[in-house]
Amino acid sequence: MSNYKKQIIKIENVGVTYPNGHVALEKINLTLNKGVICALVGVNGAGKSTLFKSIIGFLRPATGNIKIDGKSVHQALKQNIISYVPQTEDVDWDFPVLVEDVVMMGRYSHMGFTRRPSAKDKKAVGNALERVNLSEYRKRQIGELSGGQKKRVFVARALAQAGKVILLDEPFTGVDIKTEESLITLFKQLAKNGHLILVSTHNLGSVPHFCDEVALINRTILAHGVVKTTFTQENLSKAFGGMLRHQQLFGSDLHDDSDTRGITVLTDDERPLVLYGEHGGQQIINKGSDMGKVDKND
Amino acid sequence: MIEYLLEPFSYNYMSKAIWVCALVGATCAFLSSYLMLKGWSLMGDALAHAIVPGVALAYILSLPYSLGAFFAGIFAAFSMMIVKQKTKLREDAVIGLIYTSFLAIGLLLVSINPTAVNLQAIILGNILSISDYDIQQVVIISGICLIILGLKWRDMVALFFDENHAQSIGLPVTALKIMFFTLLSATTVAALQTVGACLVIAMVITPGATAYLLTDRFGRLIIISILLGSITSAFGAYLSYFLNANTGGLIVSLQTLIFLISFVFAPKHGLLKRRKTVSSSYKTQNKDAI
Repeated sequence: MSNYKKQIIKIENVGVTYPNGHVALEKINLTLNKGVICALVGVNGAGKSTLFKSIIGFLRPATGNIKIDGKSVHQALKQNIISYVPQTEDVDWDFPVLVEDVVMMGRYSHMGFTRRPSAKDKKAVGNALERVNLSEYRKRQIGELSGGQKKRVFVARALAQAGKVILLDEPFTGVDIKTEESLITLFKQLAKNGHLILVSTHNLGSVPHFCDEVALINRTILAHGVVKTTFTQENLSKAFGGMLRHQQLFGSDLHDDSDTRGITVLTDDERPLVLYGEHGGQQIINKGSDMGKVDKND
Repeated sequence: MIEYLLEPFSYNYMSKAIWVCALVGATCAFLSSYLMLKGWSLMGDALAHAIVPGVALAYILSLPYSLGAFFAGIFAAFSMMIVKQKTKLREDAVIGLIYTSFLAIGLLLVSINPTAVNLQAIILGNILSISDYDIQQVVIISGICLIILGLKWRDMVALFFDENHAQSIGLPVTALKIMFFTLLSATTVAALQTVGACLVIAMVITPGATAYLLTDRFGRLIIISILLGSITSAFGAYLSYFLNANTGGLIVSLQTLIFLISFVFAPKHGLLKRRKTVSSSYKTQNKDAI
């Protein structure tokens, strides 16, 4: 990487063991920089959520330590560095709060002792809602929204909070394509403004479309680096084992000439990842929505 | 006529009963707004029974009963919190488990070491013969409870709504939980001695549940709940003078009546409105079909 970017999350040798003896994470080492969108990819139960919970201080690692912007997790939380967007399945949708109330909760750490919102807080909430296109729904009870809108409420809460690090837990599950595209545009803008965006996802196909880096996890970090070199079939097989749907077409099945390159389609029931090249492919070809277009010069 | 209606206020014990009930009603109603959202509604019930070993132990050690009751209550509340946190048991199982254990231990203690305390009296309470000492205790505990919740209600909402997020914005999650359950135990115990178990149990459920049908905003839910709790309590105590009926029973019946009215007529979540919404959407669908 040519331009030096400042480290913001530094995870060293972190291990988490649950009370029932299950080792959820071991020897996690991961350093992430500002202005980057990084995907955290792994099977269910690989420890994605556990790693998130460690970063937001909900779980205390048994070993190792996590530094955020050079501070301990506890200090970083107090200073409002981390914005967290939960999985929508974890939310109680019958809770008596309106959309704007939820977004306002993102402002709490900017408020005083009794959390009475100031004009500035109200403005921040209005802006956040506008950025995710939910302004007209601000007076709705949260359960009255569609899947994509629900997700955006929590993204708006993170925006209102304005943390330097934004953690998103499966932001694209149950979200329509249009919402997905608009969220991706938003994440890109945020990264450009110097935020670190860490996204846990099993939507493999969207990773090359919007992420700069990828970290593959299965109890430990299997590989971490820029998408182009790290998001390979070899690394994905390591991370997923036989858990993915897998289609491969080789040489003569695909080409009329003696070209030996093959095509690999990997999917976890979401947007598929398509790879092309020798040995099943090192080249990612589904950059976003122009899926299926293969550059002949590759 | 007016003289007749004002008659209860000419008795000191009646006016005391009315405002003490209102205060207890308001405090319990505040707590009920939170409890019902997390499946903790039966916590009041559990705490009311869990104080028995505390009272028995206080008698054996000749300590004030309220002290024993308070610590047994807190101990029970924290046992529930910890069992809930460390296991995947559901709230109802946790509550049932802890409170039956406490009740059993209490009854065991009483059977081994017979006490002169009439547990019946403690569990039922009697608002009309409340002592000044008890009033003082209720006022202090309710006052503290209302002030703290009044200042920190927004933090508590964030905590109850999304604990992970509350943690991620640096709220002291554990401290807030401890605070909430301490306030709950203290209120339950104080209210128990004055208004009785049946009333406390209802008071930490019904107002919040009724308000939930009437609004989608938490701030308003708290206000409606407190108004319902305090007005029904005061009015029930007042009415008991004329009907010569049990105060607790009247208050709970009034609260239930308001719940039923809301259940049918609530502007958005009521039975009638729902039926209307369904039939009107059915009609528009039909129209579209034609």
